[in-house]
Amino acid sequence: MKLNRLLAGSALALAVGLPGLAAAKVEPSLELVQPLADYKIYISEKLQKLVDDTTAFTAAIEAGELDKAKALYAPTRASYEAVEPVAELFGDLDAAIDARADDFEKREKDPNFTGFHRLEYGLWEKDSTKGLAPVADKLLADVTELQGRVVDLPLPPEKVVGGAADLMNEVAASKISGEEDRYSHSDLWDFQANVDGAEKIFELVEPLVAKDDPAFVQRVSANFKTVDDTLAKYRAGQGFELYDKLSESDRTVLSAAVNTLAEDLATLRGKLGLN
Amino acid sequence: MPRDDSSTSKPFLATDRRRLLLGLGAAAGGTLAGSLCPAQAARAGTTSEAEHVADAPLGTARLQQRQPFHGPHQAGIVTPRPAAGLVAAFDVVVQSPADLERLFRALTVRIAFLTQGGRTPQLDPKLPPADSGILGPEIEPDNLTITVGLGAALFENRPWLRPFKPKHLQRMAGFPNDALDPELCHGDLSIQFCANTPDSNIHALRDLLKNLSDQLVLRWLQDGSVPVVAPAADGEKQSARNLLGFRDGTANPDSGDPATMARVVWVGEANDEPAWARGGSYQVVRIIRMLVESWDRTPLGEQQRIFGRKKVSGAPLDGRTEADVPDYAADPDGRVTPLDSHIRRANPRTPEAREHLILRRPFNYANGVTKSRQLEQGLLFVCYQADLEKGFLTVQGRLDGEPLEEYVKPIGGGYFYALPGVPRPGDYLGRPLVEALAARPSTPS
Ligand code: HEM
Repeated sequence: MKLNRLLAGSALALAVGLPGLAAAKVEPSLELVQPLADYKIYISEKLQKLVDDTTAFTAAIEAGELDKAKALYAPTRASYEAVEPVAELFGDLDAAIDARADDFEKREKDPNFTGFHRLEYGLWEKDSTKGLAPVADKLLADVTELQGRVVDLPLPPEKVVGGAADLMNEVAASKISGEEDRYSHSDLWDFQANVDGAEKIFELVEPLVAKDDPAFVQRVSANFKTVDDTLAKYRAGQGFELYDKLSESDRTVLSAAVNTLAEDLATLRGKLGLN
Repeated sequence: MPRDDSSTSKPFLATDRRRLLLGLGAAAGGTLAGSLCPAQAARAGTTSEAEHVADAPLGTARLQQRQPFHGPHQAGIVTPRPAAGLVAAFDVVVQSPADLERLFRALTVRIAFLTQGGRTPQLDPKLPPADSGILGPEIEPDNLTITVGLGAALFENRPWLRPFKPKHLQRMAGFPNDALDPELCHGDLSIQFCANTPDSNIHALRDLLKNLSDQLVLRWLQDGSVPVVAPAADGEKQSARNLLGFRDGTANPDSGDPATMARVVWVGEANDEPAWARGGSYQVVRIIRMLVESWDRTPLGEQQRIFGRKKVSGAPLDGRTEADVPDYAADPDGRVTPLDSHIRRANPRTPEAREHLILRRPFNYANGVTKSRQLEQGLLFVCYQADLEKGFLTVQGRLDGEPLEEYVKPIGGGYFYALPGVPRPGDYLGRPLVEALAARPSTPS
């Protein structure tokens, strides 16, 4: 296939140090300094917003304001979803903040089931804020802790760049099916946030790959556009319609674009000479 | 990736050894459904020549079995059924004739490579590998065939394709005994993978998903197997058994006879079908669950009356060997072979019934445990015919209400149109359809 030939070409250049792509990649870390610094700002802003939004969200739960809490659930999560690859560097926090009931043998009844989805379960399945205050407290503490830990975190470039593919894998593996936000059906918010997070990473490093592989950049940009345009059909108010509104044909279009983005973005690390 | 001829050359083999290997390959590719099991192959090896410590396992002969990719028809239809099968259905991203052509061309490139074998590209380790690697860097053909079919949905959901739909192609509707699971049904496109080992099918599926991710979205799949059968002592053909323990495939029309296949399986001029469809065939896929626990508790006599055949030998109830032909004329009231037995309903063997022959090519499947803690097993029923209406639909209509229904439950599948073959290198799958589209008079959007 064309793609493979293309990859084989650039891979060869990387391997044997031919001029062109490889020459430009002698010190990959140097030209990544600026994109990484920019990315750090991006995640700091997202995490600040996450803490602010979670404060309001959990306050609504503690005040017993069911409708308000429901309205704040999806937009609050979005900041988390956008920086998920970074958050996932801290496995303990990621599990506490974002685990799903399936991650536990006793499912919803498991005492270790906490975080966003535990609150989602209470708010929608039980249609109540009753008993959720301790879970809400814990969530706020966890996202605050996450923010604190990320401040001091040196960002490994391959993790950041690899994060773009991770986000698309995440969408492909669980957002496209509507199983992530199974009680609230607000999956399209998460979907968009994951895509935004991947798009951000791609934009930051795009200039570094554009000159050597314009076809790649064009294809990735086109697929991002397909996803964004398709999701835009489901915008409602500040966010999105419920997941069940997604038509089967749009789901197919999204799946194909997301899988292809995942395939392409998975080569981004290598294209930048990162191991 | 086009096949790299230089990379497919095989390691040197002593001439007599090579002859042995080729001989085994031919036997395995013959009319016996399946091929020699490794144990038999090993025995054959010890009797005819000395073994050497560094010899490759004789399984290699099977790995090197190759089905031609080019021909008037797709492989995998009248090709002897190997031990492993997998049918996957996809939805496709195709919004224009150009998209369709791109899909067909990409499928052609991958299928030509996968079925003929060769070396996979080796990339820089900083990149994800080009190939899943599950068969190693060198892909052996392993008797692999990949057969592509188009679903009614592909045509019906695209106004520009609608006029080109094969006449009988339709969405599979539930029969009275069906309990169709929407997640296991239909699709824009089907791909049937058949090979000597299930790994080759899985490898090929993963290859297509990776390389065609922008157009193929997996919808459902079911894999299955055919038990390998030892030839009978007298050399007589014996069919493999299904998971109800009965020999399955006995009364199939002769897939080795081109004239019969031209009549039963291949769409030709005699069929009132669009010209592009010639050389193709209607493919029916049915995922049929079997209630094996209840079946195993059923008296043998009743089991045999349900099918109309003897369990051990596969012979008809009025016969002695599997090859014997039942004589229903001598048994008009069904005293020997019940009138509602599976084989008598499926084919009453009247002159009229000759119009309704189908070529069955099923695989057994075992998927684990149901919610009721029963075994989830069944038949991945696949059949081909030149006329869906006269073939499967008529036969299934006659089977509706048969006593076997107490033990089986169709839960998924779909109807597809298997494309004509790729006659020669440089050509591609589905070209006649793409050209018909290009020649179409008006262009409805
Ligand atoms: C789980 C489901 C099924 C089982 C276990 C099953 C099993 C069998 C068996 C054991 C035979 C006798 C051996 C042979 O000739 O192959 C047979 C024959 C046959 N079956 Fe089925 N079958 C199933 C479903 C179907 C379906 C769905 C159809 C088509 C609608 C079908 C059509 C036929 C035909 C045409 C014959 C040959 C009859 C003859 O010419 O004598 N079967 N089947």
